[in-house]
Amino acid sequence: MEKIRATEFFAPDISADTAAFWEGCKEHKLVLQKCKKCGKLRWPAAYLCPNCLSDETELCELSGEGVIYSYAIYHKPFHPSVADKVPYVVAEVDLKEGARLVSNIVDCELSELKCGLPVEVRFIDGEGYARPVFVLKK
Amino acid sequence: MDLSHLKNKIAIVGVGYTPQGKIPGRTAASFHIEAVRNAIEDAGITKDDIGALIVYRHFDAIAGDYETTAFTIGEQLGVSPAIISQEHQCTRGWLFNSIGLLNSGLVNYVVISYGDNARSGKRSYVKELSGGKATDELAAYGDLSTMAKYAMLARRAMDTYGTGPDVWKEISVAQRRWAQLNPIAAMHGKPLDYEGYYAANMVVDPLRLLDATPSSDGGRAIVLTTAERAKMLKNPPVYIRGIGSANRPVSPFKLDLEDDRNAATVSSRMAFEMAGIEHKDVDACELYDCFTYTVEATLRDYGFFKPSEVKEFITAERLGPGGELPVNTSGGMLSEAYYMGLTPVAEAVMQLMGRCGDRQLGKVPGSKTPEIIVCSDNGGVFQSHATLVLSRED
Repeated sequence: MEKIRATEFFAPDISADTAAFWEGCKEHKLVLQKCKKCGKLRWPAAYLCPNCLSDETELCELSGEGVIYSYAIYHKPFHPSVADKVPYVVAEVDLKEGARLVSNIVDCELSELKCGLPVEVRFIDGEGYARPVFVLKK
Repeated sequence: MDLSHLKNKIAIVGVGYTPQGKIPGRTAASFHIEAVRNAIEDAGITKDDIGALIVYRHFDAIAGDYETTAFTIGEQLGVSPAIISQEHQCTRGWLFNSIGLLNSGLVNYVVISYGDNARSGKRSYVKELSGGKATDELAAYGDLSTMAKYAMLARRAMDTYGTGPDVWKEISVAQRRWAQLNPIAAMHGKPLDYEGYYAANMVVDPLRLLDATPSSDGGRAIVLTTAERAKMLKNPPVYIRGIGSANRPVSPFKLDLEDDRNAATVSSRMAFEMAGIEHKDVDACELYDCFTYTVEATLRDYGFFKPSEVKEFITAERLGPGGELPVNTSGGMLSEAYYMGLTPVAEAVMQLMGRCGDRQLGKVPGSKTPEIIVCSDNGGVFQSHATLVLSRED
């Protein structure tokens, strides 16, 4: 059985829109934008709400709980620097509060993975940033 | 939307090929201009007749090339058309743009072209990195490939509908069978069986190497004009009986498997309705097949089968030579060559013109001469889509 462990990849390219999310990660908090007008949680981050086009936004800290919508297991390293990191799991996680994130599933056996499994967030500190990853909820 | 006034008003009248496969020592632009030259010659028009030159998106320059732009291609062809355009990203607007330009009378001939030196230049398709630095957030998770975005939807379809490698091997083998009848296909002379499919390396699970289209050197171009002009030209016109176009511009990870707004679903409904056809009227499909799963998803979203019946419907016997629904009769991008939407569209046109040699439908045992062929063009990760219903008769 192959155990998937957390690893660092690349420092993210952070934009003016996504800065608040990555600032939250540094404090190990999952923070997304929420539209003040229609209440919709927003990800990817943007200046306006794509639902109602309001620019009134607040930041909302989430529980970090969700379920796996789907996942893919990288076997081929698409860059030389990840050659020693394969296999690793990239997943789409549907958060309880209603947004979907791309992240990694770590600390699991590949054979355990399934769409729909409940997961919860952990944070991994990289150099100058931290990123959310998810573990299977036991 | 009632588009019936556009039915059979525009036709495709010429196709341009180039040497294809592995052709080292050439620029991407060289394939564009060779394909365009051959397409206009095939149509029987001159370069000065080109009113609009629409060029597919180009990836980053490789193999020592300069950036491949529509201006470069215009310059190297020595033309000055009223319209020159190129999609920067993988949107698929060329079809609606062409119809509008021709039907309004703004231009008389539209040329669409694609070219690349991807194989010799060893194109990597890792767009999330530039010079080893991240260009977005996904690189922080090691999500570096377009293939993984398709793999995630394929995985969800496995979980929801029970598809999987045992279905994708059927697509892979069916198209490889077609390629054996096409001497210019990359996989001509390289037959494939189920064991061969399963022996291919897993790249991004659940997708293997043979689920992905290999890269090609070469180019392809087509010429479109009005039905009236088409009738005066030398090739039998292939009429555009139905068109569909739709975009779902959300990040790939936000795409849901089951969603009525999916670009392929919306686009195909538009095209079938305009053409006034049902699925049983379709003699063959030429579908954008960046991955095996894309063929399954397109046939499903087009309504050719019920999602739960995927295993019964998708068989090499049905899709391959002599089958009930021939799909990707050149071998497709998986087994012939990758020229974006022009691989399927060119093949449909050649089939309807009756110029396909050993793989010609009607000549292949168990097949019938095609009247109606459905084509798809897909861009991004299921984010942009065009559908054509092509017909021999107007």
